Order: sequence, then structure tokens, then C-alpha cells
Amino acid sequence: MGITVYIFWFLSFVALISALNVVFAKSPVHSVLSLIITFFAIAGHYLLLNAQFLAAVHIIVYAGAIMVLFLYVIMMLNLNKETEPHKKNYIKFISVIASCLLMITFVAAFRGAEIEGATSPNDSIGLVENLGKVLFDQNQFLLPFEVSSILFLAAMVGAVYLSKKELH
Amino acid sequence: MKELLLLSGLGVLALVSGLLNLRKIMMPLVLTGLLANIGFCIYDWNSNELVYNMLMMDNFALAFSIIFSATAFLWFISAKDYFADDNNFSDHYALVLFTLTGGLLLVSFTNMVMLFLGIEILSIPLFVLVGSHKTKLRSNEAAFKYFLLGSFASAFMLFGITLIYGITGSFNTQAIAVFLSQAGTVHALVFAGMLCILMSLAFKVSAAPFHFWAPDVYQGAPTHITAYMSTVVKTVAFAAFFRVFQTSFGAMQEDYMLALAIMSAVTLLVSNITAAVQENVKRMLAYSSISHAGFMLITVLTIRTHSAGILLYYAMVYSISSICAFAVLKQVKIHSGGREMISTFKGLLVRNKLMAFSMSLALLSMSGIPPLAGFMAKYMVFVAAINNDYLWLAVVGVIASLIAVFYYFKIIIVMFGNTPDDIDNSTIILPAHIRIVLVICCIGMLLLAVMPDILLTIL
Repeated sequence: MGITVYIFWFLSFVALISALNVVFAKSPVHSVLSLIITFFAIAGHYLLLNAQFLAAVHIIVYAGAIMVLFLYVIMMLNLNKETEPHKKNYIKFISVIASCLLMITFVAAFRGAEIEGATSPNDSIGLVENLGKVLFDQNQFLLPFEVSSILFLAAMVGAVYLSKKELH
Repeated sequence: MKELLLLSGLGVLALVSGLLNLRKIMMPLVLTGLLANIGFCIYDWNSNELVYNMLMMDNFALAFSIIFSATAFLWFISAKDYFADDNNFSDHYALVLFTLTGGLLLVSFTNMVMLFLGIEILSIPLFVLVGSHKTKLRSNEAAFKYFLLGSFASAFMLFGITLIYGITGSFNTQAIAVFLSQAGTVHALVFAGMLCILMSLAFKVSAAPFHFWAPDVYQGAPTHITAYMSTVVKTVAFAAFFRVFQTSFGAMQEDYMLALAIMSAVTLLVSNITAAVQENVKRMLAYSSISHAGFMLITVLTIRTHSAGILLYYAMVYSISSICAFAVLKQVKIHSGGREMISTFKGLLVRNKLMAFSMSLALLSMSGIPPLAGFMAKYMVFVAAINNDYLWLAVVGVIASLIAVFYYFKIIIVMFGNTPDDIDNSTIILPAHIRIVLVICCIGMLLLAVMPDILLTIL
């Protein structure tokens, strides 16, 4: 315990504040920057859970690749306040009510949740070596690993198909 | 395993078919592949093959693979011109075949990871296919809408799976079922997890209140893709829905029955009432597709009956009538300059007898007029609801069917009514492949009506 708890609270605080800022920030660029901070805070949580590999991948893929893509898109679209469409009031009203109901459900479910077996995992659980053992074990996640290649192939074909020029 | 290798292999072959100059023989190849898939499924019957602990080829999975392959077979023939384009045919083939691979995972998964992968492999190519009319604004809008909302639904599914994993400690559907049936009082997080999975699956099958995307997407997508989505995709999504809720969450039946019952009642009423005021046939068929989702949802919540057989029968009957209706709609659209209003069906009887006949057979079957297969399917659903003490749900279903009769008959009356002189009543000459599809669909609908037992008692 000791210092880990303080780090946990600090990371949670940073994650929540920056996540709220993603939603409420006026400028889309600020939103994206806050999102990057959120990702770093979450990566910190992964480190606390001994998932080093996941933390590294999280930062490289999300904060590195995807967010840079986001920034480029936002810069090219040149979003500003005037062009942003405004929702009708009753739609806003309905969505606020619906999301509040959903939040109440989740808060009620999580309240008093004492997750059993939440002992600190062993130190090497998040290392690449163990990940590989689970991923390539015939009785564990070998098939999902192979099948996900179909998913990526399909996504790639789709992206190429949509962006290629019609030759007519 | 054979089935998975066959379908994904066909998909990869389709990708390189442009390079290998296979354009001419691709269609026969795909059709043979689908027949081979049906053959494999029949060969594997009763074998209960467990594939790497992740997929279980039990009779449920095999029966649904057979009917989705059969539906896809008919669909491929009817959608021949969708694959005629020189530049894009290999992409179209590959994307559709990948969705079929996803469908195979969805009917046979025994692990939540496979459920998620199946849903994604099914959805991502579909987003692209919906937007495959690249120059049409409506198609772009539909693809974008479907993509955004679909990713949202996937996020909910992941969250739900995580919560269930957090409590039960397993991704395996059987292990989850065992945990839930042995636990005395179930943790509240299980309900939250179930709720999330329910929401995402309800989105995929377009059940109210998660159906708002469906009319826009079905209308905006190319007609062939709409037909595909409302038949093959709907069938496999329901198979997955059934598998999750009856195997993993079987022990929690008492808790989710009422929620599902209310959802299906709302789906039935909302979709049928909205469909009744539509003038656009494609949009009307989209709402009709939502309403059939409402009927099929009833089979998911009923336990004391052979609901798997009823779902199988309902899905097959609906798919076959739907393929027929959409094939006719596409031809009418071609011969009326791309319009799809009810008025374009005026005097179809004079223009082409086969089209008018098969369209009315399909619509009568969908509305559940007694001697036809649709009646039998709806009847079985209502009996299942009543056997599970949901009399009110059966009553709602009957009311919904009555409203449905009204709007299906609007088209039939127009087709058989007198033709005023001011509209085009030149004869429509159907291409041979459409004629074959329509005849097969008609025979199938009649066959299913006379011999419902071939599907009802199989599971």
C-alpha cells in the first residue's frame, strides 16, 4: 500500500478531470489534447496493475498514432463554432434524461461493489512473455488471435475501397 | 473448422480474383462454396465439434449456418449486377464473404471474445458495403450513421463483457452459465453487464428503442445491401442474441424476460405504426424488417418451448420472403428510373405476372395470412409467448400483425388494381437469374408452409 494508493488517486483525478475537459472544451483541439492526457493517466493505471506491455501499447497506439490522426483531421476540417450544428432542445432534453438514467443504473450497480479476488497480481503477469503464452496457447486465445486477422483484412479492404477513385 | 476455413478462404480468394482474372468464374465459385458449406454442415451434424475451445459446432450453429448460407446463396444470385462492376467486383465479393465469416463465428461462439470478434467482422465490412454507392449522398450518410452508432454499440458490448468477466472470472459462455446458476445472490454488476450486452445486441438486430438507425441506413444503402442486411445479417445477429441469452444468461431468465418482452412489444407497435404511413416501399420494408425483429425477439425470451426451432423457422421464412420482395423492388426500381414509391408498383400484374405473383406471395407471407409460411411462423411465436404466461405480448403481436396487413395490402392492391393510361405499362422482361430466384423463393415459401416441421423440430 502506501504510495501506490496516492498514485492511484492522483491518476484517477487527472483522468477524470481531463476526460471532463474532453467533453466540455470549446475548441476541438483542446479536447484532443485532453484526451491524450486521459490516455496517459489510464496507461499509468495499467502500470499500477503490472500490465507493462499494455501500458506501452496504449501510449504508442492511442496517444501516438490515433490522436495524431485526430489532430490532422480536426485541423483539416477547420471546425469552429459557427459551422457546428445545434441539436434541437427536445433532443437535448431526452438525451440528458436517458444518460442520467443510465448513470443511475451504473452507480447503483457499482455502489458497494466489493470485487473479490482483487489481490495484487503477480509481478510478471503483464510481461510480453506471459502474454505470448496466453495468446498462442491452443486452448486459450490462439483462434481469436488468428481470426482477428480477418477483421483487419476486412477493415483494410474497406478503407482502400472507400478511398479509391471511381474510374468511370 | 472446415466451415471457417472455407468461408474465410473464399474471402481471401475473392480479394485476389482481380489479379488472377477470375472475374468470370467468381460467381459460380462463390455459389459452389456456399453449397459446400451447407454440405459440410450436414456432414458435421450431431458431431458437436469444439474448435480450439472457442467455437462449438453444435446443431444450433450448424442449422443456422445452413439457413444463412442458403439465404446468401439466393441473395448472391439475385444481386448478380452488384458484382458486375469491373473495378470493384473483387472488393464487393471479399467484403460480403468476410461478413459471412463473421456470421459463422456469431452462430457458433462459446467465448465472449469470439462474440465480439464476430460482431466486428460482421459489422465493419457492412459499414463499407452500405456506403458502396460512393457518389450518392444518401448512401454516404447511411454508412456514416451506421458506422458511428455501430461503434458505439460495440463499445457497450465490450463494457458489458468486461463487467461480466469481472464478476464471473471467465469469458467462456458455459463457465458463465455455471457460475450464474450456482451463485445464490447475483452481484448487481452482472445486471449492468447484461444490460450493456443487451443494448448492443438490440442495436444489431434493430429492436426498439435502438432501432433509429435502421430506416435511414436501409433506405440509403444500395437495394441489394438492404436485402442482405435484412436477411443474412438479421438471422445471424438473432442467432448470437439467442446464444448469449439462452446459454450464458439462462439462469437469469426471470430477470430479463420482462425487459425483453417490453422491448419486443415497443418494437412491434412503433415499427408497424410508422410503416403504415410510409409511401416509399424501401423504407416501408425497412420498418417491416424492424417489426419482424420484434417477433423474433419473443423467441429469445421464451424458455418453456422449443424456441430455437421457432427462431430458425421464423428467420428462414422471413429471409426467403424478404429476398423475394427486395429482388422485385430492385427490378421495379430499374424500370421506373430509380423511383421506389408505392405508385411505381401500379399495374405490375400487366407488366410482369411473375413479379406481381411472387411479390404478393412474399408480402402475404410476411403479413401472416393463414395458409402461408409467415402465418405458421407467427402462430408458433404467439403460442410460445402464451405458454410462457405472456398473453399480453401475444395480443400486442396480433394487433401489430393486423396493422401490418394494412400496409402490405397497400402494395398488393396497387399491383393488381386497374392501370390508368397515363402511366408506363410496358412489359418488364426479367433477366434469367432474377426469374430463377423468384421461382425458388416462391417454391421455398410454399414448401415451408406445407412442411414447417422440417425446421421447427430440427433443434
